[in-house]
Amino acid sequence: MRDYLVKRGVSALITLALALVLNFFLFRIMPGDPTRTVVGDFRVTPEIKQALVHQFGLDQPLWVQFVLYLQNLFVGNLGVSFQYRGTPVTSIIFGRRLFNTFILMGSSMGVALIIGVIIGTIAAWKRESKFDIGAVVFSLVTYSMPVFWLGMMIILVFGYYLDWIPIAGTITVGMTYSNVFEYAADYLYHMTGPFVTLTLSFLGFYFLIMRDSILDVFTEDYMLTAKAKGLSDRKILFRHAMRNAMLPMVSLLAVEVTYLFGGATMTETVFSWYGIGRLIYEAVVMADYPVLQGIFVVMSVLVITANFCADIVYAFLDPRIRY
Amino acid sequence: MAAQVSTELEITEDRFWVYRRKLRDFWKLYRRSVLGRIGLVIVLSFVTVAIAAPWIAPYDPFAFVGDPFLKPSPSHILGTDQVGRDIFSRVIYGTRISLLVGLVASAMTIGLGTVIGLVSGYLGGSVDNLLMRVTDLFIILPALPLMLIMASILGKGIINIIIVISVIGWTATARMVRSQTLSLKERPFTEASRAIGSTDLHTIGRHIVPNVFPLVFANGMIAIVDAVLSEAGLSFLGFGDPSSPSWGMVLYFADRAGATVNGYWWYIVPPGLCIMFLVMGFAFISYSTDQILNPRLRRR
Repeated sequence: MRDYLVKRGVSALITLALALVLNFFLFRIMPGDPTRTVVGDFRVTPEIKQALVHQFGLDQPLWVQFVLYLQNLFVGNLGVSFQYRGTPVTSIIFGRRLFNTFILMGSSMGVALIIGVIIGTIAAWKRESKFDIGAVVFSLVTYSMPVFWLGMMIILVFGYYLDWIPIAGTITVGMTYSNVFEYAADYLYHMTGPFVTLTLSFLGFYFLIMRDSILDVFTEDYMLTAKAKGLSDRKILFRHAMRNAMLPMVSLLAVEVTYLFGGATMTETVFSWYGIGRLIYEAVVMADYPVLQGIFVVMSVLVITANFCADIVYAFLDPRIRY
Repeated sequence: MAAQVSTELEITEDRFWVYRRKLRDFWKLYRRSVLGRIGLVIVLSFVTVAIAAPWIAPYDPFAFVGDPFLKPSPSHILGTDQVGRDIFSRVIYGTRISLLVGLVASAMTIGLGTVIGLVSGYLGGSVDNLLMRVTDLFIILPALPLMLIMASILGKGIINIIIVISVIGWTATARMVRSQTLSLKERPFTEASRAIGSTDLHTIGRHIVPNVFPLVFANGMIAIVDAVLSEAGLSFLGFGDPSSPSWGMVLYFADRAGATVNGYWWYIVPPGLCIMFLVMGFAFISYSTDQILNPRLRRR
């Protein structure tokens, strides 16, 4: 067990190092002056520029820059944003936007996961029944739709024709709230559109994985043993099959953590949701490289940590795993 | 000398028949799958539309042929866009770009992934270690933000979209090819090949590649799905090339024109349905191919 932990830990660290190196050079392979992407923007004042050139050693050789980049990273200095005229990247990322993305993604992924696991289990149990085929076709259809188009359709039908949901935004602009519940209600009202879009888009995927995983478990010898012991179908399904089939879901969830942070760029853009996903899009459009770099770093650290944790959890859950 | 030539020829001929038989077996199994047949019909229909675009489309997709924002009418089945171009013709011509980008990008993805997987699996050691860590990184990072960042660095255009998709997408194939190569490397026939003094290149080309090919092929179908969807997304966000409009590009212009908040369903629904059906077609083909070629699934 300890060897396994050390091995996974080392490979996680190597992956992280690769991510940091990639992040440094990715933004320096652009044609022209390499410092351009860090400070060389007209939207940043000369004073801040001066300070940054010093902080990141931009007038020095590349390897010095790399060392300084790591040093700054270590103390949480990710540079300043261009489009927000010198606001530190850290305060842009870790703020209101992160909260909004977290709420939206957390709720839709959670709901999609619960529904997906339940439907997946039932569908696998009643394999090739009408229910199973219906669920598979439904998930293939939602999987085949571009997410942004699904969002557009939801706006068109429920926003334009039925007028049930607002067409954009996180809250009603210019509205004053008498108490926190009114605010929450308005917030949730605005969240309906993106929430439904994301839940639908995640649902099919979770369902297919769960169904596949249960079908795999059915071929295991211990399922035959359970049946031979005379256990009821219900017990076999929920005690033995579902529990074991949840294992692949653990590693899947670790990957999904990225979406908690990185958000659904498409959905947030279509619904003008004030979150990290839209920030990525805006930063790309506005050529706000420091923000992109910052997002890349935070995302990498988060995902690599999550995957490492998943590996450990996995090893505890499944005693057969001893690499 | 003459005798040797005929032997070579015989071997080639022999191989031809083996492949033919394998292909026929595959087709026999494939034909039984309903989803597989539906998928094939869908994809072939789109290919036909793409080839026959000039004959199907009533107008030039770039020409200003009417007033802006015309509603659907007999002369413009899907109305006109914000500058008076015929939307129906643009969707028909969009088939070409969407299909082409999807196919080229996935071919590049698969090619890159196969080469890296083969090298990694066959050579092993520190090369393998490094390549697999890179794969890890690309697999766990979310694809879309990464694509956006790369696209913003490379700039707009169809070629850049293809590059972005293949650079971000090769990892799944590489992983799979690597694990296959690892197991094939230890089989008696590869060992025998090495023992009689074949070069590495010959061993890989003659004994490993033919054996990983079925899985690569099944994987390739899903790569097309990903590529078509990625292209649509990137074009929708404005990274496409206006001179070669795909379906995603049509939707980008629809969004620009405020089609959702003005209720221009004829501008939004058709291109989206096209993307959906094309993706579904390839997904069905991939599903049936996987059922036949993947030994893990055959067992069930």
